[in-house]
Amino acid sequence: MVQTVIMPKLGQTVEESTILKWHKREGEPVKKGEILFEIETDKAVLEIESFFEGTLLKIVVAEGQTVPVSVPVAFIGQPGDKIPEVKPVKRVAPAADTTPAHVAVPPAPALRSALAKEGPSSHLRPSGFGGQAVVSPPPPVRKAISPRARRLIRECVISADPIPGTGPGGRVVEKDVQAYLEAKNYAELKITPAAKNLARANGIDILAVPRVASQARITVATIQQAIAEKPVTMSKMRQVIAQRLTASFTTTPHFYVTVAVDMTDLLEWRKILKNENKPFTVTDFILKAVALALVEFPALNSSTDGRATRWHSRVHLGMAVSIAEGLVVPVIRNAHELSIAELHELAAGLALKARDGKLTPDEMTGSTFTVSNMGMLDVDNFTAIINPGESAILAVASTRPTPVVRDGKIEIRAIMKITLASDHRLVDGACAARFVNRIKSMLEDLELWKSMI
Amino acid sequence: MEKYDLIVIGAGPGGYPAAIRAAQLGASVAIVEKEALGGTCLNWGCIPTKTLIASAVLYWHMRHAQALGVSVEKVLFDYAAMIQHKNQVVAKLRGGIAQLLKANGVTVFEGMAAFMTRNRLTIQRNGKESVALEAARIIIAAGSSAVLPAFLPKAASVVESRAFLDLPRLPARLIVLGGGVIGCELACMAAQLGAQVTIVEILDDILVMLDADLRTEARRYMENQLKIRILTGKPLEQIKAGAQGVKGQVAGEGIEAELLLAAVGRQPVTEQLALDKAGLKPNAKGYIEVNAVGQTPSAGIYAIGDVNGGPQLAHAATAQGLLAAEHAVKPRLTLRAQVVPSCIFTAPEIAVVGLSEQDAKQQNRAVKTGKFHFAALGKAVASGETTGFVKWIVDADTDQLLGAAAIGAHATELIATAVTAVQAELTAAEFARTIQAHPTLSEAWMEAAHAVHGQCIHAPPRRKHVERKA
Repeated sequence: MVQTVIMPKLGQTVEESTILKWHKREGEPVKKGEILFEIETDKAVLEIESFFEGTLLKIVVAEGQTVPVSVPVAFIGQPGDKIPEVKPVKRVAPAADTTPAHVAVPPAPALRSALAKEGPSSHLRPSGFGGQAVVSPPPPVRKAISPRARRLIRECVISADPIPGTGPGGRVVEKDVQAYLEAKNYAELKITPAAKNLARANGIDILAVPRVASQARITVATIQQAIAEKPVTMSKMRQVIAQRLTASFTTTPHFYVTVAVDMTDLLEWRKILKNENKPFTVTDFILKAVALALVEFPALNSSTDGRATRWHSRVHLGMAVSIAEGLVVPVIRNAHELSIAELHELAAGLALKARDGKLTPDEMTGSTFTVSNMGMLDVDNFTAIINPGESAILAVASTRPTPVVRDGKIEIRAIMKITLASDHRLVDGACAARFVNRIKSMLEDLELWKSMI
Repeated sequence: MEKYDLIVIGAGPGGYPAAIRAAQLGASVAIVEKEALGGTCLNWGCIPTKTLIASAVLYWHMRHAQALGVSVEKVLFDYAAMIQHKNQVVAKLRGGIAQLLKANGVTVFEGMAAFMTRNRLTIQRNGKESVALEAARIIIAAGSSAVLPAFLPKAASVVESRAFLDLPRLPARLIVLGGGVIGCELACMAAQLGAQVTIVEILDDILVMLDADLRTEARRYMENQLKIRILTGKPLEQIKAGAQGVKGQVAGEGIEAELLLAAVGRQPVTEQLALDKAGLKPNAKGYIEVNAVGQTPSAGIYAIGDVNGGPQLAHAATAQGLLAAEHAVKPRLTLRAQVVPSCIFTAPEIAVVGLSEQDAKQQNRAVKTGKFHFAALGKAVASGETTGFVKWIVDADTDQLLGAAAIGAHATELIATAVTAVQAELTAAEFARTIQAHPTLSEAWMEAAHAVHGQCIHAPPRRKHVERKA
């Protein structure tokens, strides 16, 4: 019996996913639980295991294709089984509800091939990457080029785009290419045969290659440099990060309040705890303090659309984790109800899953407040961008031995700066100041922690 | 205190060209040499070995002339006369260098240089300080010397390569410790003159920097034709040496000979330079580290050739010397592509340039190769020199000639064509379109370029293969 493999729905908000890689080929046997394919949602890359046993009869959705959830992607059965007909799946438009600022995201392979064709001289110059999250190229205008002209263009390894056509309907004919080559002094270029081959294989326009001096020979090294400078399409995950952060930063009025927290006593005590086999991290204490403070300050655990405010009765703490492909924010649900030991366990587990790329989309949505800890990255202080849908984010910097004045004397203490970025529509300065100072006073209050552990 | 624009320490193949180039560019230049103009290359390296090898090869050819229809009766060699000829050659070339330096206005100081400060040197001669010099720019070209490891007994029957070149007579039996370039070259030379030679190499093969096919070809000839015993993968142990001879054990088997030649590597000559006074500190291996133009971390001081840990080749030192001299006199960034050929004067000769197949594999690059054997080449068959082959290493994607290797008669001359092609970034297709004169050994390169695309005329078709490390 033929089983239909469908694109799984891996989260409340996931409407479509892209197949990155098939781990099995058509005709290969598949066991239950074996990894069948890899998908990329707008939040993560995930490996999908097979629910069925048999032979992979047909792959319907190829690598690189994006399809809505629940549509068939492959069939598994016994060799010779009749495969049901499937209509070619049309890609859905990006789901508008998950992306506040709607930006047309072209399917990655299409964009990549467009770039490969056009090279660095095209409209997609690096400067075009500023501003909007993603620049979608205009649909490629198919230029009319005569076969002889096309052959000459290919031989010379140049781009057809800037060549003006004088043939009927603006068609580029051979003499247009010749005139263009002459105008550009092509004959004076010195290019090594290997460099020419390399440029051709990588769609590099020889005339657009940057050189040290105009007389310099174009070598393999010159072309390799040009290849390295070609625009590279961002991963889907990176595009979504770009889009969401841009939307937040440009539409949310951010303001910042910084306080210096004296961590000396807590760090001393943490050492003692560690020797007692209770290895709490600085992050654990910060998460607990934040969760407690958020219960006291409802404005900081709210969201707004600009007209109404909405308080969230539960604290779901987002925890920014840096991974190789970018940044993910796993969520600790109901953090206000958790003991510090539970927080420790959950945070460690989520961070590990994040680094292994095993977070599910549901584990990455629904946070009401976010903590970004760059303490291990040796920074004095920094500000963070509020996650869309939240009212604030806490940026935690490195703890450093710092001279401070205590009781009129200068002492060296372990000082950690924390900076709260707040949405001024929801939070006023005084409220933000009280909130960060509340966190500070908790972190400096050793008796509080001793009562909890 | 005498002042110069530039002082060069060491008048070897790196130092003296640097001094001449700087003088050509208008600088006032002094050069300091502690021993003999021309350095290791001219006095105890390239030139003397090649002179002796030329004699040995001629002797070998005469003894094997019968195959070409020539019989020579009573072929004899006089080793002392060979050494004397070698000494004449060296003296002649050394005189040439002295003339060139003089003609370019370079002042030569004999003695040992040591830094006093970053830009001052004192020169000692026979243990006495003779003169102090000052210069804004100093090039260290002090070279290297052969290592005699501590585990070797100190005896007249144990020598390194320099002493080997002045032996009054050739030992009838010789142990060569170390299967690198120097060890193999001298082993072949002695074997061609009829000595019984054993090479002991602790690594798994001799000449390990070469691709396996070159090693196999060289080893086969050395073992079968020259009757050299090659013991690899095991150390030489329990070495005992006296005035009469030397004994040792390899994997439990006793071997003995009249002489042991230690050719286990070379070390940079930096000890007496007082580098610390110039603010320089050699790295863990004793080399002075430099950037792409040869500059050390101390402003105004350059280091070129063997002392900087680059390839230990005279022509590499020369290229570095010229670059450093130009940079020292007229500072500007003139980086050059470093395509450095490497020649080994064994029997058969071996020469390589650019990327090797084993390097390509290590770099995970997809390469194709094209090979042509001399046995299929008219000129090689005609002159009875059918050992060996030439090989191109080609980028599988762009067809670029990334490297080449030649093994066989005249390989060290044949490599010149390949050096030009690799430096010019030619493709195999481009090279295949060149016309090489017939009948010459150079045709092999063209045939090998055809072979890259499976279009070789004088070899049966073989299956094309693209290798890429998994």
